[in-house]
Amino acid sequence: MSTLGLLRGPAALARVCSGPQGLALGEKWRLLSPGGPASVLQVAGKKDLPALLPLEESELEEQFVKGHGPGGQATNKTNNCVVLKHVPSGLVVKCHQTRSVDQNRKLARKILQEKVDVFYNGENSPVCRQKREAEKKKQERKKRAKETLEKKKLLKELREASRNPVETTAGSDRVSRDASRE
Amino acid sequence: MGPCGRVLWTLLSGPKGRRGDTQARAFSLWSTLHRLLNPTELVSHWTGVFEKRGIPEARESSEYIVAHVLGAKTFQSLQPVLWTQPLTPQQLQSVQELCSYRLQRMPVQYILGEWDFQGLSLKMTPPVFIPRPETEELVEWVLEEKAQGLHAMGAHGGPRILEVGCGSGAISLSLLTHLPESQVIAVDKEEAAISLTCENAQRLQLQDRIWIVHFDVTSERSWTHLLPGGPVDLVVSNPPYIFHQDMGQLAPEIRSYEDPVALDGGEEGMDIITKILTLAPQLLKNSGLGDSTLQVLALPN
Repeated sequence: MSTLGLLRGPAALARVCSGPQGLALGEKWRLLSPGGPASVLQVAGKKDLPALLPLEESELEEQFVKGHGPGGQATNKTNNCVVLKHVPSGLVVKCHQTRSVDQNRKLARKILQEKVDVFYNGENSPVCRQKREAEKKKQERKKRAKETLEKKKLLKELREASRNPVETTAGSDRVSRDASRE
Repeated sequence: MGPCGRVLWTLLSGPKGRRGDTQARAFSLWSTLHRLLNPTELVSHWTGVFEKRGIPEARESSEYIVAHVLGAKTFQSLQPVLWTQPLTPQQLQSVQELCSYRLQRMPVQYILGEWDFQGLSLKMTPPVFIPRPETEELVEWVLEEKAQGLHAMGAHGGPRILEVGCGSGAISLSLLTHLPESQVIAVDKEEAAISLTCENAQRLQLQDRIWIVHFDVTSERSWTHLLPGGPVDLVVSNPPYIFHQDMGQLAPEIRSYEDPVALDGGEEGMDIITKILTLAPQLLKNSGLGDSTLQVLALPN
C-alpha cells in the first residue's frame, strides 16, 4: 500500500464469530473526543485539553516496527516503538515512552492529536493557550520568589545593622526597632 | 592508564570472545574519551558489540538495559538532561553485567526481571512465558466487549473470567485492573507460572480477586472443583499454538529460555486450543440466547 511497508493493525486482525454482532474493525482505534463511550481506554495522567480536533483513524498510518515475519508466540520482539503519521498534514509522531506497545499507541495518538490541532489552529489551539498560561504562571512564581528573596535579604541586613555596635542616632534606632517588629 | 582507566577498559570490552578485536575497540574508545561514558555513548557502544555478535534488536536491547540501570523504562523516557551525563562506575558495571546476559541471548525481559503489559509492571522470571505485544490487543478486545455490554458481560457486575495458561498473569491481572468488578480464576499447569502470577497479583494488590490454581486442562481431572462459583462469563487464553515440528526453528531467546510447554501446540498446533473449545460449553454460563453461541476471537499469526 505505501512506501513505509505498513502493517495496518486493525485490518490484520481476523474475527471468527458465530454470533451476529461484529465490530467494524476500524472503530477499535478511533480516538474519540472527550466524553465518548470508549473513554475508558483514554490515557490517564495529563489533564485532558478541552475539545481538540478529533483524529480520524482512517487518516492515520501506523508503522509497526515489529511487523516483519511471523509474529505472536514465535517471536519475542521488544521494540515497542510506535511511529504514527497523520496523512493530511504529514505530521509524524514517534513514541517509545513505555514498554507496552498498546500504551505507546495511545500516547502517540494523544501527542499527534495535539500536534495536529496546533497545525490547524495555530495560536488558537488549546495546546498553545495552555502552554502560554503555564509559562505565565511560571514567570509569576519566579517573580514572587525573587521578591520574597529580596525582602528576606533586606530584613537580614537590617537585623545585622541593629546588632552591630555602631554609633546610633535617634533615627537609626527607630529603623532597627521597626525592622525587628516586622 | 590509571586504575580508573583499567576499570573502564574491562567494563567496555565485555566477555573475552574475540579478544584482540574487543580489546582494540575498547582501547581506542578509551583513548579518545578519557572520561566515563554518558548514556548515549554507552548505548552506541553496546549496540556495536551486539551487532558484531549477531544479537537481534541490538540497539533496542542496549537502550533498555542502559535505561533500566538509570531507573527508566525506555531510553526515550529518560530525562533528556541525563543523556549527556556520565554514568558512575557502579552503573557501568551493572550495564556490563546485564549486557553479558544479552550476549548469551537471554531475552531482555528476563535480563531486566520485569516487563510491562497494558501499563502494568510485571515481574518476569525464566522459564515463565513472556507476554507478547499482540496479547495486549486481545485484552483490548475483551474490554471493548465489556464496554459495549455484549453477550454475558452485561451490566450487573463481574464478569467472572477463567484464564487458561496464565503464565506471568498478564492477561488476568490486566483484566482485573481495567474491570474493577471482575473476578478471575487463573489456571496453569506449571508451578513456576502459578508462583509468578501469585507474586504479580500481590505486587498489584489484586490478590483478593484472583484464584490461582495449579491445573492441567488436558488431564482427566474434573473441572467442577475449579469453578466454585459455577460457570464463568468468559474464558480467555493465549494457549500454545506453535506446530511441534517448528519448535526447533525458534530463536535462541525463546528456545533456550522460555518454557516449551507454553509454546508447543502439538502436531497441528491445536492440542490445547481444541481442549479448551471442547470444555467451553461446560465452563461457560448459558448466555440465554437459546443455543449457546460461542464467540471465538483469534489473532492470526
